[in-house]
Amino acid sequence: MEVLSALGHGFSVAFLPLNLALVLAGCFIGTLIGSLPGIGPINGVAILLPLAYSIGLEPSSAIILLAGVYYGAEYGGRISSILLNVPGDAGAVMTTLDGHPMAKRGEGSKALAISAISSFVGSLGALIMMVIFAPMLSDLATDFGPSEYVMLMVFAFTCLSTMVGSRPIKTLIGALIGLLLATVGVDSGSGVLRFTLGIPNFYDGVDFLVVVIGLFAISEILVLVEQWAKNDLKTTPVGERFFHWADLFSSRWSHALLGMVKFIISLPPVSLVKLLHLKWVVLRSTVTGFIIGVLPGTGASIASAVAYGTEKRMAREDGEKFGSGDERGLAAPEAANNASAVGALVPMLTLGIPGSGTTAILLGALLMFNITPGPLLFEEQPDIVWGLIASMFVGNIVLLLLNLPMINIFVRLLSIRQSYLTPIIIMLTFIGIYSIHGSAFDLIAMIVLGIFGYLLRKLGFSLAPVILGLVLGEIFEENLRRALSASAGDWSILLNGPITYVLLIISLLVAFGPLISRVVRRKK
Amino acid sequence: MYDRIFAAIMLALSGWIIWTAAHFYVPFQYEPLGPKAFPIIIAAVLIAASLWLLVRPSANKWHPGGRVLIHLLVATVLLVFYALVYVPLGFIASTFIVGFAFSLLFGEKLLSAGIYSLALSIVGFYLMKTALELNVPTGTLFGG
Repeated sequence: MEVLSALGHGFSVAFLPLNLALVLAGCFIGTLIGSLPGIGPINGVAILLPLAYSIGLEPSSAIILLAGVYYGAEYGGRISSILLNVPGDAGAVMTTLDGHPMAKRGEGSKALAISAISSFVGSLGALIMMVIFAPMLSDLATDFGPSEYVMLMVFAFTCLSTMVGSRPIKTLIGALIGLLLATVGVDSGSGVLRFTLGIPNFYDGVDFLVVVIGLFAISEILVLVEQWAKNDLKTTPVGERFFHWADLFSSRWSHALLGMVKFIISLPPVSLVKLLHLKWVVLRSTVTGFIIGVLPGTGASIASAVAYGTEKRMAREDGEKFGSGDERGLAAPEAANNASAVGALVPMLTLGIPGSGTTAILLGALLMFNITPGPLLFEEQPDIVWGLIASMFVGNIVLLLLNLPMINIFVRLLSIRQSYLTPIIIMLTFIGIYSIHGSAFDLIAMIVLGIFGYLLRKLGFSLAPVILGLVLGEIFEENLRRALSASAGDWSILLNGPITYVLLIISLLVAFGPLISRVVRRKK
Repeated sequence: MYDRIFAAIMLALSGWIIWTAAHFYVPFQYEPLGPKAFPIIIAAVLIAASLWLLVRPSANKWHPGGRVLIHLLVATVLLVFYALVYVPLGFIASTFIVGFAFSLLFGEKLLSAGIYSLALSIVGFYLMKTALELNVPTGTLFGG
């Protein structure tokens, strides 16, 4: 019952006129950003973060807005996946597999409706699980000391390394780069300046926003430029990949789009009754998505892939239909990626450890407002935690409305030209970064980091681990130093209780599990 | 190949970090670890990881052609130019120039790129400055 009264308080925060307006704005902007090809949730949140910070919103309002953009973009990502076969980000890749074939069959409207409703159920189910489990996890974590935190970090980085990206070693290197970036600046424990290269702008550390915008938004611009240049030469290889940028810029593209818009208008809306046979698919995927979302470091892309694979296997012989426009293959990843988006917020709010790249940015946003997420957050900042959770209930209903009757607006936006879109992105990044300190140095630093981020991406590194390392670095070091000063330098303090042992064992399992299973399989 | 170069750079970087951290001048220290240990530990792990990558790099999938490199270079120069003139020229003029150039880079026609970036810079300025009250430079050249 305590939870219900807390949730009630949350709704009183979420229903404040300003916050209600921000939920609406966040969801709208999020859907917009998600539906534009190439700009995923992580870029959207990154670009809007400095703006939200600079216009002086209250922390609770700012996080409501940014979270709206975050889960709104997870909704919007499916539009371009289904209609154009272009996923807005990695989490929407699985949606293209069955969504696009449906659209090609002329069932675009049906596919959009199924995915909207699956997304809605996925989010809602995950929110309910969050309301139940987040306070429990938070209670458990209030007993955590520095040692537990250190082991938790180790666990988070192990999960991240083994589950994200094609090569664990590259994910690990990315996280290490982030951790090292976090050490730049004056050391709070001793006042020593570390790795500042004598540049005064770095005395306070490398600005989080500069890193985020540089790594994500600026590198994205360079990627867009590269894709564009390639397309003119027609060197984009055909086949094997999920999507082709060549399609994005060709003239056939607009033809295909026009045809689809016509189809959507002409088709009657899907009646809800026809979707009831998908209920178990959606519910299973919701639970899967939520659990994967909660695990530190693993986000929507893994959740949707696992849910898709599970449903395909459960369909047995029928599974062959997956990939050629099966409704189950569309509903499963959509429910799962939205559920995981919500689930990823759970460890961020309760432990201060983000469940995904985008939640790492949200965590960084809270830190900028001098709010440290963690077990005490639920008691000390009920406005922020419960206001956010309540706003997400409201937001999901808003999104359902945006995505069913108003879907055509977003579909039309898909045809916006890259030559119009890119200047807007560039303009927003510059306004955002300049408005923090009014310093042109930050702009240059952002571009340098952008080039670095671009090279990382081209070499097959994912950027989320870098951000995770950056936001967790300071907490990691602080807890390590606190633990060791309590033990006067004795490292065995890191294993001082049952929780630390459990975390160590799970970390080892996660790290070496795949290796062991491979060896076992080879022996057979 | 690129992986190997990257790993070598990371090795040099971690070496530099360890060397720098080991030479931190710490006048006073209340706890056993101090400011040196954490960067050194992380850099040591980075050395191990980079060595692994150096020995076993991934196959290179990135082959930027001359045209791609030129486009990337132009985009980078434009971004740096934007950063350099952002304060002196002010938001409207610099956004107009850079927006125009990027529109052209993405294949827009001269006239429509001009109209579009003019509208973008003026609308953007008043939206951000007046409606959102953000710190948007007017331009020191224009007495802002």
